[in-house]
Amino acid sequence: MQVPINTRINQRSYELEVDARTTLLDLLREKLDLKSVHRGCEEGECGACTVLLNGKPVCSCLVLSPQINGAEVLTVEGLMKDGNMHPLMKAFVENYAMQCGYCTPGMVMTSYYLINTWDDFTEEDIRKGLEGNLCRCTGYTNIIRAIREAKKYKDAGYWW
Amino acid sequence: MQTREEKIISGKGIYVDDIVMPNMAYCLFVGSAYAHANIKKIDLQQALSLPGIITILTGKEILEAMNPLPPTFGSSDWLWRTPIVYPLVLDKARFYGEPIAAVIAESPDIASDAANLIDIEYDPLEPVVDLTKAIEPASPLLYEEWGDNIQIHKKVEFGDVQRSFEEADRILKVSWRENRASGFPIEARGCVAFYDKMTEILNVWSSTQSPSRAQYYLAQALKLPMTRVKITMADVGGGFGNKLNWWKETVVALAAILIGRPVKWVESKREFIVTGPHQRDVLWKGEVAIKNDGTILGIRAKLLVDLGVESTCREGAARTLAPACQAIPNAYHLKGLEVDVYGVVTNKSFYGAYRGFGKDKGIKFMERIVQMTARELHMDPVQIRKKNLIQKEEFPYEQITGYVYDSGNYEALLEKALELGNLPYWEKEKQKRREQDRYLGVGIGITVEPAGLGTSTNALTMARVRMTPDGLIEVEAGQPDIGQGSTITRRKIAADILGVKMDHIEVKRDNSDMVFTAVFSSRGAVYPTSALAKAAKLLRQRIISFAADFLNESPSNLDIKESVVYSKTSHKEITFKELARKAYFSPGPIGLGTEKKINHEVVLDVSATWFSPNTARHPKSTYTTFCAGVDLVVLEIDKHTGQVNILKYVHVHDAGTVIDENIVDGQIYGGIMQGIGEALYEELVYNQKGELLSNSYSDYLIPTTLDSPNVIVEHLCTPSPFTELGTKGMGEAPIIGSKVAVINAIEDALSPLGIVVTESPATPERIRGWILESKEEVE
Repeated sequence: MQVPINTRINQRSYELEVDARTTLLDLLREKLDLKSVHRGCEEGECGACTVLLNGKPVCSCLVLSPQINGAEVLTVEGLMKDGNMHPLMKAFVENYAMQCGYCTPGMVMTSYYLINTWDDFTEEDIRKGLEGNLCRCTGYTNIIRAIREAKKYKDAGYWW
Repeated sequence: MQTREEKIISGKGIYVDDIVMPNMAYCLFVGSAYAHANIKKIDLQQALSLPGIITILTGKEILEAMNPLPPTFGSSDWLWRTPIVYPLVLDKARFYGEPIAAVIAESPDIASDAANLIDIEYDPLEPVVDLTKAIEPASPLLYEEWGDNIQIHKKVEFGDVQRSFEEADRILKVSWRENRASGFPIEARGCVAFYDKMTEILNVWSSTQSPSRAQYYLAQALKLPMTRVKITMADVGGGFGNKLNWWKETVVALAAILIGRPVKWVESKREFIVTGPHQRDVLWKGEVAIKNDGTILGIRAKLLVDLGVESTCREGAARTLAPACQAIPNAYHLKGLEVDVYGVVTNKSFYGAYRGFGKDKGIKFMERIVQMTARELHMDPVQIRKKNLIQKEEFPYEQITGYVYDSGNYEALLEKALELGNLPYWEKEKQKRREQDRYLGVGIGITVEPAGLGTSTNALTMARVRMTPDGLIEVEAGQPDIGQGSTITRRKIAADILGVKMDHIEVKRDNSDMVFTAVFSSRGAVYPTSALAKAAKLLRQRIISFAADFLNESPSNLDIKESVVYSKTSHKEITFKELARKAYFSPGPIGLGTEKKINHEVVLDVSATWFSPNTARHPKSTYTTFCAGVDLVVLEIDKHTGQVNILKYVHVHDAGTVIDENIVDGQIYGGIMQGIGEALYEELVYNQKGELLSNSYSDYLIPTTLDSPNVIVEHLCTPSPFTELGTKGMGEAPIIGSKVAVINAIEDALSPLGIVVTESPATPERIRGWILESKEEVE
């Protein structure tokens, strides 16, 4: 069944016809070529496909395309500005917070939400907030370090 | 220039699943519903009539076009039996999920719909699921022609076992079981295959860890010369050994040839876990000869390993049984060792590589023995270790098993870990917390990690470094980057040796053109690094001698800094850009000195190969370098829930010369996390029917942010005398030491209850069970 939807993805408006059984993950990857959104477990366990839906992190594999009608979606591609990495992404690279990189865009999206949501936070908060994003390479140590460093960027006004 | 990391984090990495080709078809495998069954009939009619289905391959179709899968380490029947294995079932399915058919369709959805329409009639057989029952004479057989379920049986003896037992004051009986586990990185396996009619080359883009191995497997399986097969690595979403196996891909490539279109296969996470490489699954029973002063003299052990369906053709992890035995003595003096080792086949997915590759098993067994010896003698495990440790003056140390340890200072590592661990404080805490029903324990694991395997294709390595006509440097070194940081380290090595700016170096994407490109065996800092260093040093010499000719200077007067060759005694200098222009274009080779021209040394392009001087002189030392780590963990257990909470974690490491400490630390953090997961939660559980129950991340629990401890890392350095730069292969010690340190700590915590931990993972359920069974428990 084809369903018409109006949506905003990465600050751009779209009028789309989508198959009702197409997940948001497939819509973003296959139709809109937003390849930062990675296919992980496809059952909401790993968080590799995390995007922001109306500002909140969701596993795009668990969302059906018609559900984004009237909603706003943000992926890593939308975090970039004029081809430049977002300061949060920069902090990830500088702190060796990625190895294979497969979980990284999802990690970035959840972290972006957390940093923007909290005025201040502890390491324990980060751990609780990122629990739904699995990483098999880093042991999370440098990811947590990167988020703390990113917060410093934000506090210094280097943020968007 | 965008780095690998900047590209990937921006969503511009190209993993296999990101590859889209015109006219591409999709492959989906249909697996057996039974662990052990004869296939009576496969009815494809309904599935084939579905619109959008291109073809469906079964065992019958591939039999004509394919050879059986080639054994990874060759056919070696003196050591192991090699079954005839095809990537699709021919007549009998031998594990739950074993691929029976490959559906090729216009879209993944259509393939999935068709898969549901395939009608397979089974004649179920009794499955073999229990490791110890599998070797009983009455057991059903996986391969009838063998007459039993034993793929490998070998008895190995090192040193003087008999004497070590004669000198013993007492004999300690030990038992240790590690259950089935594996890596399962977030990205599963996948490939895109396309036969190019113009070049007549079968191209495959793959998430493999070794394009060279993949090229060999594919050429052998499809009866093609290797020159007609090219494998290119996509960005790889984690490997840990799990992407060395390469067999389903042969069917995808065959399909691409048959239908004359590109074919893509990207498996689901469940397919990865159900039909992927499995590891660990060992049962040790042993006797240890000890003296009352804590000296460990010798070990006699029997080792059973559950290889699942087989481990020579889908992948050659049968070989892991050798390092499992050879690595046992670890950091200690040992007089004698005997192991009776059995590799047993059962109706489970195949046995493949995972971080540790066998050496992990022997080391963990030894570290459990140390702990149990301490308990037997009422001594501190630290004392036992110190009594038996190899001393720093003894290097290079020839271990009884033939490994020649390059360098080290194990006692210093241990002392450093103890200092950072602050154990007196935790001993006091132990008493306090007991009153709140919390059991606190301390555990240590020492690991001497054999790295850089020097047998068969593993030891073949080559590096090429060249200055391109635009004055930049290109590096190729058979060490693909799957996230372990080899792009950064290769760039650093070349920049350092050549005196060139980091962003003037391009690291070439790895494919099967280069001998022998692979990530495994922690070989990076051993083989490819040494070959690269050698090549870079040669190119440096050549750059300087070219510059000497162009500047009319003596080579000994010249040095390089920031991509400029300059004279130390005059103001003469030449940039790489200008040097390349002169060398390649004008005046070109004619402007070089006569001797260079006569010797044909007129191109700024150098290749080098490298072989381990250690393995060359000591063939039994199949590994070259032996980095070492000490893991120290303090944890507490909630007596009522069995939950383990890590309070402190220390890791002291010696990887010789370190090229990039952040990269090495990343390997340490990640390895520790995986070891903790294996110690506490990760387990591949089969039921009595041979069905895999823990077949997703919901049941196969890999650690989250809440499980990751704050790790204190400290480095000591004893450079390796056997590698070009003093580096040692690393990356596996942390997963080994962390697992056994956690298990030792759990046992220490539960020691007031008289509990001996004989099995891993120590899940909360198991811990509760042990507590309930213990005598002193009063609810």
